Amino acid sequence: MVKLEDVSNLLQAPAPSQKVPIRTDSTYKPLHSFALDKQRSYKQQYGDMYFLRLAKIKPTVEEVASKAWDGTEIGGELAKRVDRVLDVRQGELCWVAGTVYMDMRLKPNILEDVSKDRWLSAPISSQKYYSDDGSDQIMLEDDSGRVRLVGELLNSIPLVTGCIIAVMGTENTNGEFEVIDLKVPDLAPQPERWALSKAPSASGKSKSEDIDMTDSPSSNGGKKVAIVSGLSFSGTDASYDLELNLLLEYLLGEALGPDEQTSISQISRLIIAGDSISTTATKENDDEDDETKKRAQKKYGYDASAYNPLPSQLFDEFVAELLPSIPVTLLPGARDPANASYPQQPIHTAMFPLSRAYASDPGAASTSQPGWFDTVTNPWEAEIEGWRILGTGGQNVDDVFKYVESDDRLGMMEAMCRWRCCAPTAPDTLWSYPFQEDDPFVLKSCPHVYFVGCQPEFATKVIHGPDGQSVRLIAVPSFSKTKEFVLVDTETLEVTKIKIASR
Amino acid sequence: MDDAKKYLSDRLLSEEVPVTYRLLSRVLNIRVNVAKQKLHEFHQSQNASKPDSIHATYLIYGSKTEHKQPETGDTDMDNSVPEPEPLSDYAPTKTVTIVAEENLKNALAEYEEVTSFHIYSLAPFPQRDLALLSDVSKSLSEYRKIEDAAKTLDTYGIIANPQARRKDRKGRPPVPAPAPSASAPKSVKQEVPPTLSKPTQPEKVKQETKEVSSAEATPSSSAGKKPPATLKRGASGGIMQSFAKAAAKPPKPKPEPKPKEEDTSMALSDDGEADDEDLPTSKSIDLEALKRTRKQREEELMRMMEDADDDIKEAKKEDEQSDEEMEEASEAEPEPEPEPEPQPKEEKEPSEMISNSGDGRRRGKRRVMKKKRILDDQGYMVTIQEAAWESFSEDEAPPPAATKPTPASTPAASSTQKSKKAAAPKSGSQGSIMSFFAKK
Repeated sequence: MVKLEDVSNLLQAPAPSQKVPIRTDSTYKPLHSFALDKQRSYKQQYGDMYFLRLAKIKPTVEEVASKAWDGTEIGGELAKRVDRVLDVRQGELCWVAGTVYMDMRLKPNILEDVSKDRWLSAPISSQKYYSDDGSDQIMLEDDSGRVRLVGELLNSIPLVTGCIIAVMGTENTNGEFEVIDLKVPDLAPQPERWALSKAPSASGKSKSEDIDMTDSPSSNGGKKVAIVSGLSFSGTDASYDLELNLLLEYLLGEALGPDEQTSISQISRLIIAGDSISTTATKENDDEDDETKKRAQKKYGYDASAYNPLPSQLFDEFVAELLPSIPVTLLPGARDPANASYPQQPIHTAMFPLSRAYASDPGAASTSQPGWFDTVTNPWEAEIEGWRILGTGGQNVDDVFKYVESDDRLGMMEAMCRWRCCAPTAPDTLWSYPFQEDDPFVLKSCPHVYFVGCQPEFATKVIHGPDGQSVRLIAVPSFSKTKEFVLVDTETLEVTKIKIASR
Repeated sequence: MDDAKKYLSDRLLSEEVPVTYRLLSRVLNIRVNVAKQKLHEFHQSQNASKPDSIHATYLIYGSKTEHKQPETGDTDMDNSVPEPEPLSDYAPTKTVTIVAEENLKNALAEYEEVTSFHIYSLAPFPQRDLALLSDVSKSLSEYRKIEDAAKTLDTYGIIANPQARRKDRKGRPPVPAPAPSASAPKSVKQEVPPTLSKPTQPEKVKQETKEVSSAEATPSSSAGKKPPATLKRGASGGIMQSFAKAAAKPPKPKPEPKPKEEDTSMALSDDGEADDEDLPTSKSIDLEALKRTRKQREEELMRMMEDADDDIKEAKKEDEQSDEEMEEASEAEPEPEPEPEPQPKEEKEPSEMISNSGDGRRRGKRRVMKKKRILDDQGYMVTIQEAAWESFSEDEAPPPAATKPTPASTPAASSTQKSKKAAAPKSGSQGSIMSFFAKK
């Protein structure tokens, strides 16, 4: 409860003669874990991905399982390890590891498409693949075969296609595997902070001349990273223009008073996590379009005149105005002009005639330092201020969301970390590049921060692993819907939500 | 001081349009914090003399009172549904609120702590729809100068960043300074950078043979001469007109994306590059072009689509006359593109070698130009043409001159084909959609 009288003294701020704050530098090392070869081929089969994933994760999950289940006796029978799904014998208590496959009525099925001679993927009609009439089946498969899993336990643990688990139980007379217990690989080993980049030494800090200006970083909090997603710059919908402007002013340190401006100068980087451009803009206005349509249909399939450059132009202007003050990392999202399949490759800087002056030189990109304006892949991995950060534009969570009953997005993010796979449903329902040599979605190391963009609402939590790992999960909301973005403190990994409101 | 007063009274009292602190700071070249101060002073003094003549909006920043359920209040709720464990950890929320003067008290009442509070804008009328303010900030772009961004930051008191770095443009003119002649379509031709390859145009060869024997000697110095042919192609299709302004920007060190923008025939031709290598056309759309209303371009495009066929004829004429312009233009602005030009040499060599003419048929090898696509050291895809020998026998039809105008075969023909120049590549590519699929 604040009264006008309490704050009116803020209006008469001391004559602002002080220096403009200087933004803190950002220690930033992007990893190119999800970059694809420019000359990639799409001829491979997808089966290899499942094979690779199983080969990579199976040893871990078996280790976890044997630790838990070795010597387990149930009803006088010792649980036995079985190498292949096919080797499970009826009535024997055993455990086996494999890939989960969900057979769901509502899930698009490529085999069905092929058998019915449909060569275009049908529009996905439902929000969820999950149906609560019990018709969904959970299978466990490996390269030898497949067995259906049943049991009470499965109702409480969400599973999706593509995750690797170990199950203990017996095969019943129907040929189904009654699950008694279930294990997941759990969090991957977590690297130390500053594993890849060098921590700025204390001497370097005292050397910098601005030390007395940003006098006590502790009072303003430490360095921060801002994460925003779903800016949805649009050519037609101006309803949140004001908020976008305020976001810009906030990040530039134009808005707010001198004290707050100093603390905003601690925001060392802006990460834009997907859906920066809204393409849904053109709501056909039927009245005047009849004639235009006829003409449009005349010659070629693609009507170039329907392209609206305004959203990307507005976005470019937005970024270009930020760049002199703050470095920007840009992840593509589902609606951005990048490839549709995971991993999405960086948005080409040609989309940014103004901002690209700050982008890295394409020739020297791989060798030298990352661009000040860094367009990156989705998913994307980096080390920022020493912390390993994993971020996505949100498609992976959105797709897992369709498999499970709950709305708990953080739970899904947590599950992905514990499955050690950041896009388990690729390539089944999440479009993906057919990887051949390596499945990059398998998490070799556990991130410190895992953020996912374009989510319906903000949420955050910290999860812990068996070996002392801890991961900060952040669901970043769509700015265009919620007018919210997120600040992450890079010392404590505490998260602050900033909301922009107008009334 | 009085600048501010004068500007504000002009704008608010005479023109009756709102002013934000950002606008004031841009107009007067003062820091934003000073501008906020000035707005406040003006607001005070005006309303002191004439109450309610000026209306302000304020920006509040701080943490709001959390809307927690009173813990004791709803016990009867508890026994029906056990409170689910919150999915998300608690995270502090800070709220930036922009609020009109009239609602200020209510807005403040929602806050627990306010750390920053200042005037955002002034207007001569009560502001019901704050969205109007975003229009004001649109006008700010006029004051934005990309070039001296760093200086700007200091002038306006924006958080500066000494680490900011831009990429080295390697001596090319920096960012899209709107070309002086941007409005004239000619500037397209002038500035489309040359592509190395695809001499699908007979006249390219012709030209070079005519004027450049020196180019043969020093192929790498052909920079000045090479552009015309490619440039012309850029102009031919008529569709390029729509990109006229677009292309009026400094050339990029990227030779390969350009073919895409060349003309309609190229768009249909076998130029099948993967998505990744495709540069969206918007790449070359600079501010100038964007300012044109979309509608206009739409119409223009439509017209062009319809007249595509007629255009071919027109293009021919256009080509001829633009020939000259091109040469001048390219002289005026030499391209920094030291690419070797292999074509001229080939003319010296025989184009065919007949190895066997027994059994009434000629067999042998002939020299053809083959396109080869490689990645250069910068990671760009470059299409170059190489001479290669291809065996043939007479029962095969000789290669149609139109599709593959090898330099050797065209010099003589080119004079007769002269009138057809633009048409030649077009007709060549028209039948060749299959080669799109056969690519690589």
